Amino acid sequence: MRYADFTPYDLVLLAQGLGVTVGLFTLTTLVGLLIAALFTLVDYYRVPVLRQVIVTVSEALKNSPVLVQLFLVFFGLPAFFHINMTPFVAASLTISLNTAAFAFVIFRSGIDAVEAEQVAAAKVYGHSRWQILRFVLLPQAAAFSIGPLVGLLVNQLQVTSLISVIGVFDLTKIGNILNLRTLEPFIVWTVVGLLYYALAKLLASVGARIEKRLRRSVVWEGI
Amino acid sequence: MNQLWVTLRPHLPFMLDGFLLTVFACTLAIIGAVLIGALMASLRTSGNRIVRGVAFAYSDVFRNTPFIVQLFFFFYGLPEIGIYIGAFETGVIALSIIGGAFVSDVIRSGILAVDQGVIEAAKVSGLSRWTIFTKIVLPIALRTSVRPMGSVLINMVLTSSILSTITINELTGTAKIVASTTFKPFEVYLVLLVLYASLTYALSLLINTVHRRLNRAMDTGGAA
Amino acid sequence: MSNTPSENRARFGVPEDSMVFARGVRKSFGTLDVLKGVDIDVPKGSVACIIGPSGSGKSTFLRCINHLEKLTGGILLVDGAFVGYDLRKDRLYEVKDNELCQRRAEIGMLFQSFNLFSHMTVMENLIEAPVHVRRVPVEQAKSEALELLARVGLSEKVDSYPRELSGGQQQRVAIARAMAMKPKVLLFDEPTSALDPELVGEVLQVMRDLAETGMTMVVVTHEIGFAREIGDQLIFMDGGVIVEEGNPREMIANPQSPRTKEFLSKVL
Ligand SMILES: Nc1ncnc2c1ncn2[C@@H]1O[C@H](COP(=O)(O)OP(=O)(O)O)[C@@H](O)[C@H]1O
Ligand SMILES: [Mg+2]
Repeated sequence: MRYADFTPYDLVLLAQGLGVTVGLFTLTTLVGLLIAALFTLVDYYRVPVLRQVIVTVSEALKNSPVLVQLFLVFFGLPAFFHINMTPFVAASLTISLNTAAFAFVIFRSGIDAVEAEQVAAAKVYGHSRWQILRFVLLPQAAAFSIGPLVGLLVNQLQVTSLISVIGVFDLTKIGNILNLRTLEPFIVWTVVGLLYYALAKLLASVGARIEKRLRRSVVWEGI
Repeated sequence: MNQLWVTLRPHLPFMLDGFLLTVFACTLAIIGAVLIGALMASLRTSGNRIVRGVAFAYSDVFRNTPFIVQLFFFFYGLPEIGIYIGAFETGVIALSIIGGAFVSDVIRSGILAVDQGVIEAAKVSGLSRWTIFTKIVLPIALRTSVRPMGSVLINMVLTSSILSTITINELTGTAKIVASTTFKPFEVYLVLLVLYASLTYALSLLINTVHRRLNRAMDTGGAA
Repeated sequence: MSNTPSENRARFGVPEDSMVFARGVRKSFGTLDVLKGVDIDVPKGSVACIIGPSGSGKSTFLRCINHLEKLTGGILLVDGAFVGYDLRKDRLYEVKDNELCQRRAEIGMLFQSFNLFSHMTVMENLIEAPVHVRRVPVEQAKSEALELLARVGLSEKVDSYPRELSGGQQQRVAIARAMAMKPKVLLFDEPTSALDPELVGEVLQVMRDLAETGMTMVVVTHEIGFAREIGDQLIFMDGGVIVEEGNPREMIANPQSPRTKEFLSKVL
């Protein structure tokens, strides 16, 4: 079957790959944002030691290749700690943490941006630090953050393609399989590329809509 | 620790080769990306709608698809149409192309951010369009673009690790081999991660220096 | 070759000593008519001050004078010649970029926001246009620049960058930069509006000195005191037309139109 032509079944394969990509992207985004929120809390409350650890880890994640992070988790962790690691778990863990590192920075600068102008005023009225965060900072920081966050997620969607290298059967891996079987690289990679492109555009437009809505609500609250 | 050193030491010259290849590939690709980016940014100001559209599509497509897909497209595709260049050349070209897409956006927004009033002041003193562009707009845009340009370049260095997937033994490629021959993947990849982080840190120091040098004259709003 | 001052003078009845001559100047942005027929005569060596509420078209008119905006209709001559056009057989043709640059070089303009070249020192700001447009040798341009800086009282700032200067100092540098082109006329668009009150005086003083040397100036301003003291004519614009004009002292003391009266009562 080396020079095999395309078959209708290939569409099923592509759909499966697409499903894995979207699924893993969704999962890692949710987990990543959650971790980032925790990181942000630790940073906001200036928890000693933990805060330094978080900053160091997120700097390391932001400043090294995702591929290397994947190798470290998938090949390194099992060898060193003698644990089992499936490609999917390694991929989920790595991409989640990677997303968290970047989202953490976005959240933090969102809060910094609002805090500088507003907290001084809010403190006068005797609000607690939590109340300030919940009612003053978060709503506006969300509006500040959503634009960069959408940009980040569009980028992270591309990054998920690297999990194919450690053997997850995502869209890119399916591309690899079809490429080797049909020897039609232009067709295969164009189709795969277009699918990623469509996903990215979809994500960006959803993000733009949310951003619009959030910004409107902030304006309303300001009155 | 000592044990680790004993294990890794024989492989260091090999990894140094990989490191140098990474530096070489990134240097070439950055030069390529800046040239392509400058060209595309200027095409996007063209009067011709089609030219503008093509330049926009270029940056749109390459920014919104994964680099590894682009890399495979060229690596497996080029021989199909009778272009036989080595893996290294293919990798450098692909890296230049995606870098160019990002660079063109940086240059473009740098140019658009130049104060219209300053351009008008240049116009009313009779300076020609060309002089205004080369002596006023470009230098100002260059100064405000150092940081965004810097993060594009750092990203290119990180992205270059993906070249290892098409058999190029750059830094990540050599580390992969060392990890499997020493059976110490955790240690090797951790060292690798630190190496990349140091490389990008050094690059960011350089970028900060350039930024400060160029912007001594200008108030850029107190960015840290 | 058409569009020579002498031909235009004969044809449009332009006075011999006219520096800025406008007849029926109209300007629209799409469907928005901003200037609805403006007539102005600014003789050589005189100072014309334009006042009026915001949005009345003062900036637009100034920008038409040096062809930053194209006219929709009417005639606008500087020293007897069109700036952005050539007149051939009853048609106006836009001039080539090169030619426009040369003609603009003779008309200096100052902005509310100074607009110095932020990446250049004061000296570099001053010699950029003389060297590139008037083709003055660099050394000569530098010595001329030093003289001009002395005139605006900023000799010691020659190597400073704009951001190291106060707003008032920046505007004085901008004036020196405009003077370095040896312009026939200077246009000012609210030159002191962006300044802290305590810095307004130093800029007005420089403008006063310029007026005394016989520089022709068209000044859009809210500084009524300056207009009364220095202006040879005062022009009140509202809604894209000139509502009233005349001798500043008489007009301020005794405005004829109720709109002028109302406006003056607000700014005085
Ligand atoms: N480039 C432009 N496009 C559209 N409208 C403009 C433009 N420039 C000025 N206008 C409009 O023309 C009117 C007059 O503006 P301007 O000349 O700046 O007034 P002034 O200087 O007296 O405050 C305003 O309503 C303004 O919105
Ligand atoms: Mg105005």
